[in-house]
Amino acid sequence: MTADPAPGYVRDPGASAERTRLAWRRTGMSATVVALLAARPAFAPDARPGIILLAALAMAGWAVLVALAYRRAHWLAVWPPRPGRRAVTSYALITAAFALLGTVLVLL
Amino acid sequence: MAGEKPDYRFSLANERTFLAWIRTALALLAGGLACAQFLPPLPISHLREIIAVALLLLGGVVAVRAVDHWARTEKAMRLGADLPRSRFPAVLALIVAVGALLLVVAVLIKAAR
Repeated sequence: MTADPAPGYVRDPGASAERTRLAWRRTGMSATVVALLAARPAFAPDARPGIILLAALAMAGWAVLVALAYRRAHWLAVWPPRPGRRAVTSYALITAAFALLGTVLVLL
Repeated sequence: MAGEKPDYRFSLANERTFLAWIRTALALLAGGLACAQFLPPLPISHLREIIAVALLLLGGVVAVRAVDHWARTEKAMRLGADLPRSRFPAVLALIVAVGALLLVVAVLIKAAR
Protein backbone atom coordinates (compact mmCIF):
# COMPACT_ATOMS: atom_id res chain seq x y z
CA MET A 1 0.00 0.00 0.00
CA THR A 2 1.31 3.42 -0.87
CA ALA A 3 0.63 6.20 1.57
CA ASP A 4 -2.31 8.47 0.83
CA PRO A 5 -0.70 11.60 -0.66
CA ALA A 6 -3.46 13.75 0.76
CA PRO A 7 -4.47 12.64 4.24
CA GLY A 8 -7.53 14.40 5.51
CA TYR A 9 -9.27 14.35 2.15
CA VAL A 10 -12.07 11.88 1.59
CA ARG A 11 -12.12 10.16 -1.80
CA ASP A 12 -14.86 11.90 -3.67
CA PRO A 13 -17.97 9.82 -4.36
CA GLY A 14 -19.53 12.74 -6.26
CA ALA A 15 -16.73 12.76 -8.86
CA SER A 16 -16.30 16.55 -8.67
CA ALA A 17 -13.05 16.47 -10.63
CA GLU A 18 -14.72 14.57 -13.47
CA ARG A 19 -17.75 16.86 -13.47
CA THR A 20 -15.51 19.91 -13.50
CA ARG A 21 -13.50 18.50 -16.42
CA LEU A 22 -16.74 17.97 -18.37
CA ALA A 23 -17.87 21.51 -17.50
CA TRP A 24 -14.60 22.81 -19.00
CA ARG A 25 -15.27 20.76 -22.12
CA ARG A 26 -18.83 22.12 -22.52
CA THR A 27 -17.49 25.63 -22.09
CA GLY A 28 -14.85 24.95 -24.74
CA MET A 29 -17.57 23.92 -27.18
CA SER A 30 -19.49 27.16 -26.54
CA ALA A 31 -16.26 29.10 -27.10
CA THR A 32 -15.79 27.26 -30.41
CA VAL A 33 -19.19 28.47 -31.63
CA VAL A 34 -18.30 32.07 -30.73
CA ALA A 35 -14.87 31.85 -32.37
CA LEU A 36 -16.33 30.41 -35.58
CA LEU A 37 -19.01 33.13 -35.71
CA ALA A 38 -16.29 35.76 -35.19
CA ALA A 39 -14.23 34.27 -38.02
CA ARG A 40 -17.16 33.85 -40.41
CA PRO A 41 -17.20 37.36 -41.98
CA ALA A 42 -13.58 36.85 -43.10
CA PHE A 43 -14.79 34.26 -45.61
CA ALA A 44 -17.03 36.70 -47.47
CA PRO A 45 -15.69 37.42 -50.98
CA ASP A 46 -15.34 41.15 -50.24
CA ALA A 47 -13.75 40.79 -46.77
CA ARG A 48 -11.57 43.75 -45.81
CA PRO A 49 -8.13 43.27 -44.18
CA GLY A 50 -9.44 44.50 -40.81
CA ILE A 51 -12.11 41.78 -40.75
CA ILE A 52 -9.54 39.13 -41.68
CA LEU A 53 -7.25 40.38 -38.91
CA LEU A 54 -10.10 40.14 -36.38
CA ALA A 55 -10.84 36.59 -37.55
CA ALA A 56 -7.17 35.68 -37.02
CA LEU A 57 -7.29 37.22 -33.52
CA ALA A 58 -10.47 35.27 -32.75
CA MET A 59 -8.88 31.98 -33.79
CA ALA A 60 -5.74 32.77 -31.77
CA GLY A 61 -7.91 33.54 -28.73
CA TRP A 62 -9.77 30.29 -29.26
CA ALA A 63 -6.49 28.36 -29.36
CA VAL A 64 -5.48 29.92 -26.03
CA LEU A 65 -8.84 28.95 -24.51
CA VAL A 66 -8.40 25.35 -25.66
CA ALA A 67 -4.86 25.29 -24.24
CA LEU A 68 -6.08 26.67 -20.90
CA ALA A 69 -8.78 23.99 -20.63
CA TYR A 70 -6.24 21.33 -21.57
CA ARG A 71 -3.82 22.46 -18.85
CA ARG A 72 -6.65 22.66 -16.35
CA ALA A 73 -7.69 19.06 -17.08
CA HIS A 74 -4.18 17.99 -16.05
CA TRP A 75 -4.43 19.62 -12.61
CA LEU A 76 -7.88 18.11 -12.16
CA ALA A 77 -6.49 14.63 -12.80
CA VAL A 78 -3.91 14.76 -9.98
CA TRP A 79 -4.83 13.83 -6.42
CA PRO A 80 -6.08 15.90 -4.70
CA PRO A 81 -7.37 18.06 -7.58
CA ARG A 82 -5.84 21.54 -7.52
CA PRO A 83 -8.10 24.59 -7.78
CA GLY A 84 -7.48 26.51 -11.00
CA ARG A 85 -6.82 30.15 -10.28
CA ARG A 86 -4.97 31.27 -13.39
CA ALA A 87 -7.09 29.24 -15.82
CA VAL A 88 -10.29 30.76 -14.41
CA THR A 89 -9.03 34.36 -14.53
CA SER A 90 -7.54 34.06 -18.02
CA TYR A 91 -10.62 32.33 -19.39
CA ALA A 92 -12.88 35.14 -18.16
CA LEU A 93 -10.58 37.86 -19.50
CA ILE A 94 -10.34 36.24 -22.93
CA THR A 95 -14.13 35.87 -23.00
CA ALA A 96 -14.46 39.59 -22.22
CA ALA A 97 -11.90 40.30 -24.97
CA PHE A 98 -14.09 38.29 -27.35
CA ALA A 99 -16.98 40.61 -26.46
CA LEU A 100 -14.89 43.64 -27.45
CA LEU A 101 -13.63 41.94 -30.61
CA GLY A 102 -17.20 41.09 -31.58
CA THR A 103 -18.31 44.67 -30.96
CA VAL A 104 -15.55 46.01 -33.22
CA LEU A 105 -16.48 43.40 -35.83
CA VAL A 106 -20.15 44.48 -35.81
CA LEU A 107 -19.29 48.18 -35.98
CA LEU A 108 -16.63 47.79 -38.69
CA MET B 1 -3.63 34.07 -0.01
CA ALA B 2 -5.34 34.69 3.31
CA GLY B 3 -7.13 32.04 5.31
CA GLU B 4 -7.19 28.27 5.00
CA LYS B 5 -7.45 26.16 1.88
CA PRO B 6 -11.06 25.00 1.57
CA ASP B 7 -12.06 21.42 0.76
CA TYR B 8 -11.21 20.96 -2.91
CA ARG B 9 -14.78 19.88 -3.65
CA PHE B 10 -16.08 23.31 -2.69
CA SER B 11 -13.45 24.98 -4.86
CA LEU B 12 -14.39 22.78 -7.80
CA ALA B 13 -18.09 23.49 -7.28
CA ASN B 14 -17.26 27.22 -7.31
CA GLU B 15 -15.30 26.66 -10.53
CA ARG B 16 -18.24 24.89 -12.16
CA THR B 17 -20.55 27.76 -11.23
CA PHE B 18 -18.02 30.12 -12.82
CA LEU B 19 -17.96 27.97 -15.97
CA ALA B 20 -21.76 27.98 -16.17
CA TRP B 21 -21.66 31.80 -16.10
CA ILE B 22 -18.95 31.82 -18.77
CA ARG B 23 -21.20 29.68 -20.94
CA THR B 24 -24.00 32.20 -20.36
CA ALA B 25 -21.60 34.94 -21.47
CA LEU B 26 -20.52 32.94 -24.53
CA ALA B 27 -24.18 32.30 -25.44
CA LEU B 28 -24.83 36.06 -25.32
CA LEU B 29 -21.77 36.66 -27.52
CA ALA B 30 -22.90 34.00 -30.00
CA GLY B 31 -26.37 35.56 -30.02
CA GLY B 32 -24.95 39.01 -30.69
CA LEU B 33 -22.72 37.82 -33.53
CA ALA B 34 -25.57 35.77 -35.01
CA CYS B 35 -27.89 38.83 -34.91
CA ALA B 36 -25.34 40.89 -36.81
CA GLN B 37 -24.70 38.21 -39.39
CA PHE B 38 -28.06 36.53 -39.98
CA LEU B 39 -30.77 39.17 -39.40
CA PRO B 40 -31.84 41.17 -42.45
CA PRO B 41 -31.43 44.97 -42.09
CA LEU B 42 -34.30 46.11 -39.83
CA PRO B 43 -36.75 48.94 -40.65
CA ILE B 44 -35.29 51.20 -37.92
CA SER B 45 -31.82 52.15 -39.10
CA HIS B 46 -28.98 50.32 -37.30
CA LEU B 47 -31.41 48.49 -34.98
CA ARG B 48 -29.77 45.21 -35.96
CA GLU B 49 -26.34 46.54 -34.98
CA ILE B 50 -27.72 48.03 -31.76
CA ILE B 51 -29.21 44.66 -30.71
CA ALA B 52 -25.97 42.87 -31.63
CA VAL B 53 -23.72 45.29 -29.71
CA ALA B 54 -26.06 45.24 -26.68
CA LEU B 55 -25.87 41.43 -26.54
CA LEU B 56 -22.09 41.45 -27.00
CA LEU B 57 -21.50 44.02 -24.26
CA LEU B 58 -23.89 42.18 -21.93
CA GLY B 59 -21.87 39.02 -22.57
CA GLY B 60 -18.66 40.85 -21.67
CA VAL B 61 -20.18 42.15 -18.44
CA VAL B 62 -21.38 38.65 -17.52
CA ALA B 63 -17.86 37.26 -18.05
CA VAL B 64 -16.19 39.92 -15.89
CA ARG B 65 -18.84 39.56 -13.17
CA ALA B 66 -18.36 35.76 -13.27
CA VAL B 67 -14.66 35.94 -12.43
CA ASP B 68 -15.25 38.62 -9.78
CA HIS B 69 -17.91 36.52 -8.08
CA TRP B 70 -15.72 33.42 -8.34
CA ALA B 71 -12.84 35.23 -6.60
CA ARG B 72 -15.07 36.63 -3.85
CA THR B 73 -16.60 33.19 -3.20
CA GLU B 74 -13.15 31.60 -3.07
CA LYS B 75 -11.99 34.23 -0.59
CA ALA B 76 -15.10 33.80 1.59
CA MET B 77 -14.53 30.03 1.70
CA ARG B 78 -10.89 30.54 2.74
CA LEU B 79 -11.86 32.92 5.52
CA GLY B 80 -14.85 30.85 6.58
CA ALA B 81 -17.12 33.86 5.99
CA ASP B 82 -20.62 33.84 4.52
CA LEU B 83 -20.66 33.30 0.78
CA PRO B 84 -21.12 36.58 -1.13
CA ARG B 85 -24.66 37.32 -2.18
CA SER B 86 -25.46 38.75 -5.54
CA ARG B 87 -28.32 40.58 -7.19
CA PHE B 88 -26.75 40.05 -10.60
CA PRO B 89 -28.80 36.95 -11.62
CA ALA B 90 -32.01 38.88 -10.92
CA VAL B 91 -30.75 41.94 -12.81
CA LEU B 92 -29.74 39.82 -15.79
CA ALA B 93 -33.14 38.10 -15.79
CA LEU B 94 -34.87 41.51 -15.76
CA ILE B 95 -32.71 42.78 -18.64
CA VAL B 96 -33.50 39.68 -20.70
CA ALA B 97 -37.23 39.97 -19.87
CA VAL B 98 -37.33 43.66 -20.86
CA GLY B 99 -35.48 42.85 -24.09
CA ALA B 100 -37.95 40.07 -24.90
CA LEU B 101 -40.88 42.39 -24.17
CA LEU B 102 -39.47 45.08 -26.48
CA LEU B 103 -39.11 42.53 -29.27
CA VAL B 104 -42.69 41.31 -28.74
CA VAL B 105 -43.92 44.91 -29.04
CA ALA B 106 -41.82 45.40 -32.18
CA VAL B 107 -43.25 42.24 -33.78
CA LEU B 108 -46.83 43.28 -32.89
CA ILE B 109 -46.36 46.79 -34.33
CA LYS B 110 -44.96 45.30 -37.51
CA ALA B 111 -47.89 42.83 -37.77
CA ALA B 112 -50.49 45.59 -37.21
CA ARG B 113 -49.16 47.75 -40.04
